[in-house]
Amino acid sequence: MDRHSRRSPVFLNLAQIRFPVGAIASIAHRVAGVLLFIALPVIALTLDVSLRTEAGFASVRDLLSSPFWLMAGSVLLWALVHHVLAGVRHLLMDVGVGSGLKQARTSARLVLVGAPALTLLFLAWGLS
Amino acid sequence: MKLNIYRFDPERGDPPRMQAYEVQPEAGDKKLLDLLMRLRVQDDSLSFRRSCREGVCGSDAMNINGRNGLACLTSLDGLKEPIVLRPLPGFPVIRDLIVDMTQFFAHYHSIKPWLINDAPLPERERLQSPTERERLDGLYECILCACCSAFCPSYWWNPDKFIGPSGLLQAYRFIADSRDTASAERLDFLDDVYRLYRCRTIMNCTEVCPKGLSPSHAIERIRLALLRRSS
Repeated sequence: MDRHSRRSPVFLNLAQIRFPVGAIASIAHRVAGVLLFIALPVIALTLDVSLRTEAGFASVRDLLSSPFWLMAGSVLLWALVHHVLAGVRHLLMDVGVGSGLKQARTSARLVLVGAPALTLLFLAWGLS
Repeated sequence: MKLNIYRFDPERGDPPRMQAYEVQPEAGDKKLLDLLMRLRVQDDSLSFRRSCREGVCGSDAMNINGRNGLACLTSLDGLKEPIVLRPLPGFPVIRDLIVDMTQFFAHYHSIKPWLINDAPLPERERLQSPTERERLDGLYECILCACCSAFCPSYWWNPDKFIGPSGLLQAYRFIADSRDTASAERLDFLDDVYRLYRCRTIMNCTEVCPKGLSPSHAIERIRLALLRRSS
């Protein structure tokens, strides 16, 4: 390996690789996890403020009704739903349920479509 | 047909580039490898590995239109043009489509890909029942082309520590073999956060295996064997 490792290029341009649906569900799982992790302190703080006093609750409610925070909240909600669905998919696959290629493709598609769909449903329910 | 091929010449020292080609398939040209052989007549500096031309030797693995596969098993019909050919992702490139597989084979070697059985040799061969033999189906057919490992994100990020789908499939091939008596040692070796547990069940390996095998299934069996052993 030393013979050519010094100047050997490696092709690994992810934009030029055609990923199967399972890989997309997997990377989205990871992205969702990172988002949730980063947002956790803010969510905890917001929850704390909203529970402390009535005025605090009102201020959080007002904040969340602004378009930017509504958008940010929706993304986090998607992250949570996707993470839970993809996580359950992995748990089932770990014990051999749906770990065949066909079933895994179907469940990956279900997670990718189901997460935004459920997010919209929760949003509609929450905003009504 | 139009092709766009990754070129790298270590002697020139230039960074890799894509080169456009156009070649007319002739009667009887069915597979991508047929086209590549024709292309080599046009440009004999184009380098790629090939040998058996029928999916047995596993040397012509490459990234074809973004997916790993064997040129000799990939039909020209249905290939989107220009056909974009790149070397196996994540592997050091030696020249054009030829990659360095040293590390890949080091992982293969690490799982001791041979039967271990210290019992005295029987007078004739070690017999297996048809059921025991069937357990090797879907495992022994691996040709070590590296399509799977070179399509595995976990292997891309940890090629030095994660054994990769191909090596793990091979490892399970010996764990599942009724004639092998070293299953416990094999499982001990694999029971490691990197060697085995870097697998995130993305299943890219099974998606691209040109032999239709399922390394992800073999990895699942190894994990279950470890779980059963620990409980």
